[in-house]
Amino acid sequence: MRENPRAFVHPRRFIAFAAAIAVVFSALTVRLYDLEIVRGDYYHDLSEQNRILRLPVAAERGGITDRRGYVLARNVPGFAVSVIPVDLPRSRETELFQRLGAVLGLPSDAVADTVRTQRQRNPYEPVRISKTPVPREIAFGITERAELFPGVRVDPESIRLYVDGTLYSPVIGYTGPITEDELQKLRDQGYLGDDDIGRTGIESVYERYLRGTYGWREIERDAAQREIKTLALQQPIVGNTVVLTIDDRLQKLLDAELRKGVVEDRFTQAVGIAMNPQNGEILAMVSIPGYDNNMFARGITTSELAALNADDRHPLVNKAVGDQYPAGSTFKMVTGLSALSEGTATRSTTVNVSAMSFSVSGTTFYDWRAHGTLDFVTGFAHSSDIYFYTLAGGTPFAPNVRGVGPEAIAKYGKMLGFGSPTGIDLPNEASGIMPDPEWKLATQDEPWTIGNTYQEAIGQGFVAVTPLQLLNAYASVANGGTLWQPHLLKQVTSPTGAAVPLAQAKPIRKLDMTQENLRLLREAARRVVTIGHAYMPNARLPIAGKTGTAEFGASSGRDSAGRNKLGFHNWFISFVPQADNSDPTAQIAMVIFTYDSSKSLCDNCFNPAVGMSQRILETYLLDTK
Amino acid sequence: MSVRPLAIPHPATPLHDRPVARRWTEIDPILLIVTLLLIAYGLVMTYSTTAETRTFTGDPMQFVIRGAIWAGVGMATMTAVAMFDYAWLGTFAPVLYLVTLGLLAIVLQFGTASLGAQRSVNIAGLTFQFSEVAKVLMIVVLAKYFADRRARIGSPLVMLFGMALLAPAVFLVYRQPDLGTSLVFIAIFFGIAFLAGARMWQLVGLVAIAAASFPVIWALLKDYQRARLSAFLDPYSDPQGAGWNIIQSLIAVGSGGATGKGLTAGTQSPLGYLPIAESDFVFAGLAEDLGFAGAIILFALYIVMLFAALRVAFRARDPFGMLIGGGIATMLLFQILVNVGMAISLMPVTGIPLPFISHGGSSLVSICFALGVLQSISMRREPEGP
Repeated sequence: MRENPRAFVHPRRFIAFAAAIAVVFSALTVRLYDLEIVRGDYYHDLSEQNRILRLPVAAERGGITDRRGYVLARNVPGFAVSVIPVDLPRSRETELFQRLGAVLGLPSDAVADTVRTQRQRNPYEPVRISKTPVPREIAFGITERAELFPGVRVDPESIRLYVDGTLYSPVIGYTGPITEDELQKLRDQGYLGDDDIGRTGIESVYERYLRGTYGWREIERDAAQREIKTLALQQPIVGNTVVLTIDDRLQKLLDAELRKGVVEDRFTQAVGIAMNPQNGEILAMVSIPGYDNNMFARGITTSELAALNADDRHPLVNKAVGDQYPAGSTFKMVTGLSALSEGTATRSTTVNVSAMSFSVSGTTFYDWRAHGTLDFVTGFAHSSDIYFYTLAGGTPFAPNVRGVGPEAIAKYGKMLGFGSPTGIDLPNEASGIMPDPEWKLATQDEPWTIGNTYQEAIGQGFVAVTPLQLLNAYASVANGGTLWQPHLLKQVTSPTGAAVPLAQAKPIRKLDMTQENLRLLREAARRVVTIGHAYMPNARLPIAGKTGTAEFGASSGRDSAGRNKLGFHNWFISFVPQADNSDPTAQIAMVIFTYDSSKSLCDNCFNPAVGMSQRILETYLLDTK
Repeated sequence: MSVRPLAIPHPATPLHDRPVARRWTEIDPILLIVTLLLIAYGLVMTYSTTAETRTFTGDPMQFVIRGAIWAGVGMATMTAVAMFDYAWLGTFAPVLYLVTLGLLAIVLQFGTASLGAQRSVNIAGLTFQFSEVAKVLMIVVLAKYFADRRARIGSPLVMLFGMALLAPAVFLVYRQPDLGTSLVFIAIFFGIAFLAGARMWQLVGLVAIAAASFPVIWALLKDYQRARLSAFLDPYSDPQGAGWNIIQSLIAVGSGGATGKGLTAGTQSPLGYLPIAESDFVFAGLAEDLGFAGAIILFALYIVMLFAALRVAFRARDPFGMLIGGGIATMLLFQILVNVGMAISLMPVTGIPLPFISHGGSSLVSICFALGVLQSISMRREPEGP
């Protein structure tokens, strides 16, 4: 039987082979169907995410001006110097690191670290070498000699410029790089890792107005993260302009007087605040010593910051609101109003101050002179300590006068705003201390003594106030009984010039005191200037006010430098009625506080704050340019 | 009987016991048409993947022109090969075997390194991937080997000697290193042995031995090959490293959707997310540009070509022709499976070109050579009829 000539063909194997083809293509097709049809949209999104990157475009920060539009903070161009590692030949690395370090004032090792780290991460992405903006001259120096700086690029950026620097730093504060913690909280609001944020002062409080609306740019990028082209652009919107209630002219007058005093070493620190008693607008706020907030704007160095922190005068603190001091005799206003309001005293309550001192249970209390017979107005005008000891706690000088007591003084003190922050639009406000027996028991674990009452009556002892609290209390007397919330924000203007609606300034409370008593206080304050402690020669304005001298340190002797060991701070709080009467018409009230005036070696110096106040107010109100 | 063309010791057509006629009418028209369509498809994809490329510089049309020139060379080769009786290949099989090993040795010795492997040789400014040629030559050698031992196909010794024949080539390719192509050689061996009628238990046994020796193979693999295998199992374990290609390829394929983003409109490959988009990952670029529809058209063309090749093999006049046809079909099927499978993460990443679609002259001309052999087999089959 002849062999089948085609026996070499195994049909079943061919069928199996055909089946294998079918299986392979079925598997490929099913998988492809799943990827492209079932999950096509998902992968399409992924490919777009690959390709398209939305980059934020920073908005310029809004400016800050005084009430007349004088610019206090604006932005100027600065420069960022970066290196793109891929554009830097390795053979020139060392040379560049040294040159760049020298130009930017950085160790070349630090430059090398930054670049090498980035080379590992993403060599196509520029990395910033100097964290702080680079000045124009250095930036131009680099771009002009580009051949010496391979791989280096210089980009413009915005630097905050504080026009008057130190003069306004206590009010305006500064911006600084956002911290990691803040970023966690603010990322949802569009903050970015290399953003600046208001760190303190107005910059911090009104961050929401000043920070603009960031735009974005959609770019197409390749796998190496290089930008190919811009696909879409949303322009950023500049931040709003914040208009302050500050009057730059008054601020500069106040600052010049106080700074002169510090320079001449008549006192070591000074605070001056002026406000409109009729609405709580702050017209000027000076705290000396301050600091140049431009240092922060351009990136403060470690040594600069260390120097500021080492200064025991605490230049970073705005002492108008951030620190508290004994009020001294200015506090007699509170004692007086308490006694008048409670009816334990009237304008005709007389005390015969026949001696300079008296003793109660072994402690001696002094006045600065034996005044003779005083009524309320002369007692206040001459700032008799014994008169107000009597109103507060009763003394042997006037057995028929009952002391109003510490609880009442605390009650009216709190009504006038002491012991709690005023709520001004500045951060880190101190609350001060308005003591009473309960407070002493709770904090000192000791019962209140009559001596405490006497000290409280003249603003010594436990009483602690901020300059702003004291000013605001006097302003409420000057305006006829409304305690306004002091504020710095006058208006917010959008980039188009429209005013952004703001909440109206509001009073904290109406004083629960009679107009008659408030008028008596204004009259007495005027008498302080005309016949009393703050006599102003050649006065051209009907200024009213009250002096204060808060003592600290040892009670006698001099230190090795020949300085009085008994140090004292001086206060003068003034307000200017529209006419020389006791009507509540004042448009301006001002406090000046000079810290540690004891440097002047005299024993009985005239309070320096009085003369300064007269010059400032007369120049500001009368010598208009 | 009839006039012999050449007076050499062995007859020029020694394996034919009956006259063999070259009949142009018996050329396989379906195979020819599908070949031309696939070549055209390949040129379109060359245009699409290089049109906006950032990997190359210069005029994108230069790649299309170069591809067209190679296509012309390929078709000339195919025609020339078809004219000759494939039996000649059998006559010179031992020589071809030595040529195969020689070419692979030359690559190892004088090859140009690229992407960490030494796979090509530069001659006169042109780059040749000799392993592409070697695959086709090896098909001829193995087909001849098994055709001649048809009577003793059940003997394990035949299998062992066959493997011994194969081993040097696999080793040389693996040393380049080119794991993918060495796997193609092994696949060809299995395909030819299978159609030659090798015992199933032997074939299954070989696969079982290979599976059992996986730990040994794993130890022999290079680090990057192990990384690729790990990445295949879980691309997201190293998304920026070994898993990158797989993830980006999946994104490219998936983002194509039903009908694709359009020719040259894909973004994954022009922007560099998809590496080696004109060759290894060309299918991902195709699926992104032309979508599911484009891929299905490609699959259809492949299926037609594979069945045409199988039909040629089935109708071949002798075992040698049948096994060559089977070997060519095996090679095509395996390369398609591995290349497409890699792009859609059904297979680990290996650098095997996708027939006709991957950009590259050596691959195209080699395949055209193989298809010329197929046409030669088709033209010389026995006339049908009683």
